Amino acid sequence: MKFTPVLLFAAVSLSLLAGCGRSPDPAASAGSAAAAGPVIALVPKTLNNPFFIDMQRGAEEAARAAGVTLVVQAAERETDVERQMQIIENLIQRKVSALILAPSGSREIVPVVLKANQADIPVLIVDTRLDAAALQASGGKTVTFIGSDNHEGGKIAGQFAVERLGGQGRVAVLEGIAGHETGDARVRGFREALRGHPGITIVASQPANWERDQGYTVFQNILQANPTVNALFAANDLMALGAVEAIAAAGKTGKVTVIGFDAQDEARAAVKAGKMAATIAQNPALMGRTAVERAVALLKGEPVPADIGVSIELVK
Amino acid sequence: MTLPRFLVANARQAGTVAVFLVLCLVLSVLTPHFLTTSNLLNVAQQTVINAVIAVGLTYVILSGGIDLSVGSVLALAGVVLALALQAGWPVPLAIGACLVVGAACGTVNGLLVAFGRLPPFIATLGLMSVARGGALLVTDGRPVSGFDASFRWLATGEVLGIPVPVWCMLAVYGVAHFVLKRTKFGRYVVAIGGNEEASLLSGVPVAACKVGIYALGGGLAAAASVLLTARLNSAQPIAGLSYELDAIAATVIGGTSLMGGQGSVFGTLVGALIMGVLRNGLNLLGVSSYVQQVVIGAVIIAAVLLDTVFKGSKR
Repeated sequence: MKFTPVLLFAAVSLSLLAGCGRSPDPAASAGSAAAAGPVIALVPKTLNNPFFIDMQRGAEEAARAAGVTLVVQAAERETDVERQMQIIENLIQRKVSALILAPSGSREIVPVVLKANQADIPVLIVDTRLDAAALQASGGKTVTFIGSDNHEGGKIAGQFAVERLGGQGRVAVLEGIAGHETGDARVRGFREALRGHPGITIVASQPANWERDQGYTVFQNILQANPTVNALFAANDLMALGAVEAIAAAGKTGKVTVIGFDAQDEARAAVKAGKMAATIAQNPALMGRTAVERAVALLKGEPVPADIGVSIELVK
Repeated sequence: MTLPRFLVANARQAGTVAVFLVLCLVLSVLTPHFLTTSNLLNVAQQTVINAVIAVGLTYVILSGGIDLSVGSVLALAGVVLALALQAGWPVPLAIGACLVVGAACGTVNGLLVAFGRLPPFIATLGLMSVARGGALLVTDGRPVSGFDASFRWLATGEVLGIPVPVWCMLAVYGVAHFVLKRTKFGRYVVAIGGNEEASLLSGVPVAACKVGIYALGGGLAAAASVLLTARLNSAQPIAGLSYELDAIAATVIGGTSLMGGQGSVFGTLVGALIMGVLRNGLNLLGVSSYVQQVVIGAVIIAAVLLDTVFKGSKR
């Protein structure tokens, strides 16, 4: 009976796969892909961040309206560039008609953009810009960038902080993953807005890697070292929401002006409840929708501008 | 040895291979994009990094240990390599430095386990954090990128139509298989995992072997970092997060017992291929990212279940 377990295992994997093949997702059956017209692939950084889930929703709406098939695939971890690269390589094998990509790494993902170029698959970048120098050095090409002006968003956040603090304050900053263009641009913009206000000093600026739990612990530590901090700018809402919990745990709710970025539902609710002072609204659903619409236009042979801004606003 | 007898003698490995073949068969029925030369080469390339790390883990697990630090060691060795290359070191020298860093980290693990009497889980858990912190420290948290074409050849080059990284993987497996089967050191590894006390009493230099085993594990993680850095044209200090779990999964799917003493290098290669093919296939089928995680987890459980059920039936 030695092979019984082997057969059992084979049967399990078979049924699992067969189950996947029957998934209600229209994109799941590869056989019908050719018949259904163009297949557009969206590869966000991850699908466990509400920002990218909103982006996916917007993209799905646009795909439905245009009658094209949309495939959405993402790595488990936002930082796993290698996995994102594998997903794109696999989509190239599947011969998708266009690729919409939110790069996990501005420089690291460039080699696979080149592979898509070689396979004649147009690449549209959303949310996070590729590193221009790295792209140029490799000879890679992208059609367009669709995203918010993060630098401008950071500036708006900074101006709001100056206003709210009345020119006097001790400010902490929670950064995203070091070396990520998106986070860097937001923090740069924020710092710029604070320049020329000598009464406001940045007492701490630490990365919390975009994550909520790290936002909690890092800000808890900042509070230990600088108990008089009275304002916080977090480069995304997840970190801001983590910090809000740390502030509550320290019994300082209301004493720290918390400004986030992304305007996720939970952050909007926190602003309403007075736990956060403001958040910067990006519009990920609009990004997803615009990206798919532009990809469809591109496949029809229509021209697409090289840089498409998506509106940004302060929610307070 | 006749074929049926060979199959019985290597039933567990034959089982892994059978699973792999069934998986490929099912995928080639479900999608026309799977069974193409370019996709198969694609899967092979995607398997390389996990497979190279997993060889080292196979030795460690065969000896009854575990190494949780390989992902972090990969990151540290990778950034050392990248910084050396950017400082203008010749490619072979930079790769040498990278391998030395990896092997040194492994040696520390080995010393802690063999002479410090720390459980491998704890020693390598500690080094996991130390190496990660080290990688972040030397790079200030930023990726180091942009290398010469001569270095990138390790990722982009081809020899006889097969990508260079795949050749590297095959070479590593060839040597690792030979060492395990044909050298004294290889037999010691299995003996220590089978029964450490008996090995010690029969004159096996257990402590020295353990240091060697963990050094090998660290060195192979560094070797994987060379290939990863070439592939991404960039070394990230946060690279390799949870790669140790993928490598452990490949080893276990390949039939190596977590209790030590039983397993094979060849099985691990097939285990890594199963994981690579599964991820590739699920991408090709356009399966939701959430479902993919469920499927991969289920396959790991099924593979280990297969192992225990099989061992139960042998008794």
